[in-house]
Amino acid sequence: MRTPGLSGAMLPAVRDSNSLHQALDLGYRQLLLERGSLLAMVGPLAAAARRGVAIFVNLDGVEGLAADSAALAFLATDLGFSGVLSVKPHILRDASRFRLRTIQRIHALDSTGLETGLNSMGQPAPYAIAIAPAVAIPQVMATIRGSTNVPVWGTGFITTTDQAAAVLAAGADVVSSAELELWREFRAAPIGD
Amino acid sequence: MAARAMTPAARGQAVDRSVARLFEAFDHVPVAAVIRHAEDLPRALASQVPAIFFVRAPAFHLGPLVWAVQARGKMAFVHIDLIAGLGKDRAGIAFLAREIGVNGIITSHSGLVAAAKAERVIAVQRLLLYDDLALHPAMAAIEHARPDIVEVQPAVIFPLVADQIRARHPVPIIVGGFVTEPHQREAALQRGARAISTSKMSLWP
Repeated sequence: MRTPGLSGAMLPAVRDSNSLHQALDLGYRQLLLERGSLLAMVGPLAAAARRGVAIFVNLDGVEGLAADSAALAFLATDLGFSGVLSVKPHILRDASRFRLRTIQRIHALDSTGLETGLNSMGQPAPYAIAIAPAVAIPQVMATIRGSTNVPVWGTGFITTTDQAAAVLAAGADVVSSAELELWREFRAAPIGD
Repeated sequence: MAARAMTPAARGQAVDRSVARLFEAFDHVPVAAVIRHAEDLPRALASQVPAIFFVRAPAFHLGPLVWAVQARGKMAFVHIDLIAGLGKDRAGIAFLAREIGVNGIITSHSGLVAAAKAERVIAVQRLLLYDDLALHPAMAAIEHARPDIVEVQPAVIFPLVADQIRARHPVPIIVGGFVTEPHQREAALQRGARAISTSKMSLWP
């Protein structure tokens, strides 16, 4: 892949151009567009991608995009984004054809649902899986590792330092949060540490 | 059938009575057994849990399992979103309520809560809180649907949202999802959950 990959353990979750600029001002070279209208902030996002910032998009959360090949081609080719997240394996399969990194979102709500999510993982194997809510990761990491060795990202409900630290300590490679305070605190945290 | 003739007020009283009976039992044994595989049922039947939640069971073979639960004086709940073979609609709910006679229905969907309330069964609305994007629609949904019981998943989220839920719709809360250790059960109860739901047999007293 020619697009940039991950550079640290904290993945700032941005929702609008204000939070996008805050993350960039802190020196982050990676972002997760978690929700909001991608099209309303497409200019600054494209500019960041051109400067080598790795941009990942949660296709289940953003507005303004269809979940189809035209949208994926736009993200990959026109915008130069690094990857996409979705709960839907068929979308990720399409995305891999556009050389986007694919991150399978899996809801960790109970053991039945987690099992279903882990079993739904398609081929090719995703670049990573994103467990939501991340705060469940300490409880489910053993189950996950019994089923896959791909990197684990934690997204959802991370608002305190303790929560983020616990998720990383449990073995997650990356944790995502929308909290500016945590972006400041984990700015230098190395990936998978 | 009696259920068809019942007025809304009578329905309300009948369900209120069974909800009251359920939580009286939960005050002694605050655990619902989640049955993921039929072979786990005998262990749940032999336990003291007052309620059994069926997830994943095939709908058209559910009758004998539900009746076995009720024969033990326990209440049987069916997760309509997850069980195979049944429409996730009014007719599906009516089948569970009238033909099988379940005590309650578990669902994430407000429309199905309304359908369960229209039948003579306890409506449990499950809140699937995977991120805070899911939180606001979930809060609006319980306020709108007004289920008899709210079930929050996963349990680790409960302390973060307990006050918000109570402010929106003050009904009894059951907490489930990765409750596998006694300290997790205690944490949920301490935060005001009336019971926990778990498939972990060692937590079925």
